[in-house]
Amino acid sequence: MIIVRVNGREQTFEPAADTSLANMLRDEAGLIGVRVSCAEGECGACTVLLDEQPVTSCLMLAHQAAGREVTTIEGFGSPEHLHPIQQAFIEEQGFQCGFCTPGFIIAAAAFLAENPSPTEAEASIAMSGNICRCGAYPYIVRAVMTAAERLRGATA
Amino acid sequence: MSATINDLAALRDGSKTDQRLSTPARDAFTIVGKGVPVKDAIEKVTGSIKYGVDFAVPHMAHGKILRSPHAHARIVRIDTARAEAIPGVYGVVTHEDAPGGTWENAWFNYRGRIMDGTARFVGDEIAAVAAVSAEIAEHALAAIDIEWEILPAVFDPHEARKPGAPQIRDEGNERDAYVVEWGDIAEGHDLADVLVESDVVFASQQYASIGRNACVAEWMNDRVTLWTSSQTPSELRDGVHEAFEIPLSKVRVMALPSGSSFGSWWSANFMLVTVMLAKKIRRAVKIELSNAECMGTVKRRHIEHTRGRMGAKRDGTLTLAQFDHVIDNGAYGFKDDVGFFCVDMWGRALHGDYQVHAVNTNLVTAGCMRGVGDITLGSAVERTANRVAAELDIDPIEFRLKNQIRPGEPLRMRHSLHNMDCSVEEYLAGIPEELRAEWPELFHLSSGSTAEILTTGAEAFRWSERWQGWGKPDSVDGPLRRAVGVGTGAHVCGVEFEGSSSAVVRINGDGSAKVHASCGRQGQGSETTLSQVAAEELGIPFTMIEIETGDTDSCPWSHGSLASNTLYRIGWAVRAAAKDAKRQLLEIAGREVFHLAPDELQVVEGVIAPVDGSQPGVSVEDVMNMLRLADTLGQTSSITGRPATPMPPSTAFARHFAAHFAEVEVDIETGEIRLTDYLATQDSGTIVNPQVMKNQVIGGAICGAGFALFEELHFGDDGRVLNANMLDYKLLRCADFPHQAGVIFGDSYDPVGPFGARGAGEAPMAASVAAIQAAVFNATGVWVELPMTPERVLTAMGVI
Repeated sequence: MIIVRVNGREQTFEPAADTSLANMLRDEAGLIGVRVSCAEGECGACTVLLDEQPVTSCLMLAHQAAGREVTTIEGFGSPEHLHPIQQAFIEEQGFQCGFCTPGFIIAAAAFLAENPSPTEAEASIAMSGNICRCGAYPYIVRAVMTAAERLRGATA
Repeated sequence: MSATINDLAALRDGSKTDQRLSTPARDAFTIVGKGVPVKDAIEKVTGSIKYGVDFAVPHMAHGKILRSPHAHARIVRIDTARAEAIPGVYGVVTHEDAPGGTWENAWFNYRGRIMDGTARFVGDEIAAVAAVSAEIAEHALAAIDIEWEILPAVFDPHEARKPGAPQIRDEGNERDAYVVEWGDIAEGHDLADVLVESDVVFASQQYASIGRNACVAEWMNDRVTLWTSSQTPSELRDGVHEAFEIPLSKVRVMALPSGSSFGSWWSANFMLVTVMLAKKIRRAVKIELSNAECMGTVKRRHIEHTRGRMGAKRDGTLTLAQFDHVIDNGAYGFKDDVGFFCVDMWGRALHGDYQVHAVNTNLVTAGCMRGVGDITLGSAVERTANRVAAELDIDPIEFRLKNQIRPGEPLRMRHSLHNMDCSVEEYLAGIPEELRAEWPELFHLSSGSTAEILTTGAEAFRWSERWQGWGKPDSVDGPLRRAVGVGTGAHVCGVEFEGSSSAVVRINGDGSAKVHASCGRQGQGSETTLSQVAAEELGIPFTMIEIETGDTDSCPWSHGSLASNTLYRIGWAVRAAAKDAKRQLLEIAGREVFHLAPDELQVVEGVIAPVDGSQPGVSVEDVMNMLRLADTLGQTSSITGRPATPMPPSTAFARHFAAHFAEVEVDIETGEIRLTDYLATQDSGTIVNPQVMKNQVIGGAICGAGFALFEELHFGDDGRVLNANMLDYKLLRCADFPHQAGVIFGDSYDPVGPFGARGAGEAPMAASVAAIQAAVFNATGVWVELPMTPERVLTAMGVI
């Protein structure tokens, strides 16, 4: 049995030795916003924060999260209270099919925590660890820039 | 005559070459043209939207598919006893369980029986196991014993055409040649001052959808329900009906949103295998595909080979366009043409002859991927035309303005005619006289062209400043050479004569409305744009409109989201259904409230009022309440509208157009290409939602850029896909595409499409490939084969 703090609440899990963190979060915690596409760490759709660092949860074993804190897209905002990054992705329409979107939003959150005032070029490079096959990239960059401005405003 | 045909006639009052509606009329739209956020935006950013992989029913079993290790082989004997004996296994299906019916999808993916005991590509479905868990099912696959008879296989379409080649299908390997010809090729040849020969081979692109797929199937007695991500819910329902030979009324498809499908998720055989398994074990089954299965066993773009020539007079008039095009359909593809709308776009050529030969091979099935034909044959034609223009030293924009189709001019393609269920004469006789008067012949372009967008795009891109001439970079910095290029693309807006897409619009008792329209939700935003069309027609606020797209029990039949069909054809049906619902509403309001005729009333923002303002308005909700409370007014408390007629027969058909401008930087020492600037222009008639359209246009440009620069499926000598994963199959990432890329829309207005709109998603793919390839030529002075990897750049330059 392992204890993982998921989206601010401690939960216990009994994953098999070879269960990935992504599958535990999806199948045991019902967090379907953890999207699994390539399942080999290339596309970034399964990105979650592990102790505030972005990781591809498809490549991590569930047991590696024992005693640590995981944040998924479900921990970011609710329909009534969207996170500023979620709001910015809607306004700039930084997505199409939406499958990659949680991964991008989490990657953006980790990036903006490190670099609150990025240039567009920096944002573009930072968003290159994830794949958006629909090709919303220019609008993803705009969403990150809009979110950065809002987040700076919120902390000023 | 229906109201729609009246509209059509009215809109054709203008000149043949200018279909624009006056600006004030388009300005009067309340919701069409607004960039409202897509309807499922919150579900997408909060991660709560459910795709096929997220769907489950209680107590369902999990299925896994056994796939052929051989490219072509027949099962001599199959023994499932060991697998069935494994604890936790519910059952196994093989070809011996397959129903006798055959299924096809959208007229060119013909599977035959779901399994028939022959494997036709590495990865073909051979058997499937259902078990309590996916792991046990997977384990049991290895316990199925098979004795194979290996058959000779063929992987090259040219080889597959030869007499004596291994035969993959009962129908033979080759489809009938698809031919488009006009004029006299010999004369076109004689008239040409410049003649350019061309020979281009294309790699196969993989859909490489982010977002795998799964199917859940459950039988209740003799009825079956499927939950899966699909762009074509109605076609999938039809496929299950055909394969299992059960009435359509007993099949319900609940199509879920998909990842970036691009044509990948129409109907796929794994969905029907799921239905087989569920039937055998009498329990719901879910089959979830791995990414390797998605990329290696479902579909891919055709491998294509274009050979041909174009000729022109010294003044730039194209005298000849002659192309012979071979495509491989893989194991189960059945397509005999490939999009082909480049033929129409370059249709001003005085003489033309295009022939397509489609051939089956023992590679994984090839299917229509976004921009089918126009990204391949289209870019080969663009490249050949560019070489003609270069010989003549004519600017590519000038060359296109001279040689590309304008509204009212003939469409060379007779693509549709083989779909017609009547003679051309009978068809023409069915078109109202006033519509036939202007454009009496089959077929003409209804609206739009590349002309306006090329001109406005060139200005915005500062083309005349940046263009240095053919094969000349605009800057050289050590090994780095920068240059610009322009490319154009066209594609269809749904396919003519393939059945009428319909829709239902229901006005509810509280004044809200629900649209039922069978289509896909693969990120193209149709749930939003179709709702905008309904809201505009009904006069009911957009926020009060909801739409069901996936349930075949409530949505009338449509082709679904393919061939850039949704907004143009299904959108037409949604508008027609909304008109019908509004007519009923206004008849009641006119009779019971205002004592006026329906056409003296209007609905604005959910309030019904006389057009002349002579009486105060009454809300739709209040009128609907009267309907609910009074038995005499109507049959139910809701109003149901449906199209009064099919889409009107016409001699004019829609295409959509793209013109893209790219700047590249090529390192001639390493062969590396970087995109440094990009402008995409698009003529799709009225833009129903500019935000959605921008994403479609840039998304198409990016997917095209991937095909131009590095996307390529590799096959082993045994026909196996070698790179069915995202590590070895590279996709463009954010920093690979200029984030400042611009989008400009043309201003045309289609006489048939809803509120002047046409299709959108596929022409950008073709224009992108052509523009980037031309820019690389201008930077390097050589034409590089696709995809333009560093190795191919250096090879073309003679460096390696």
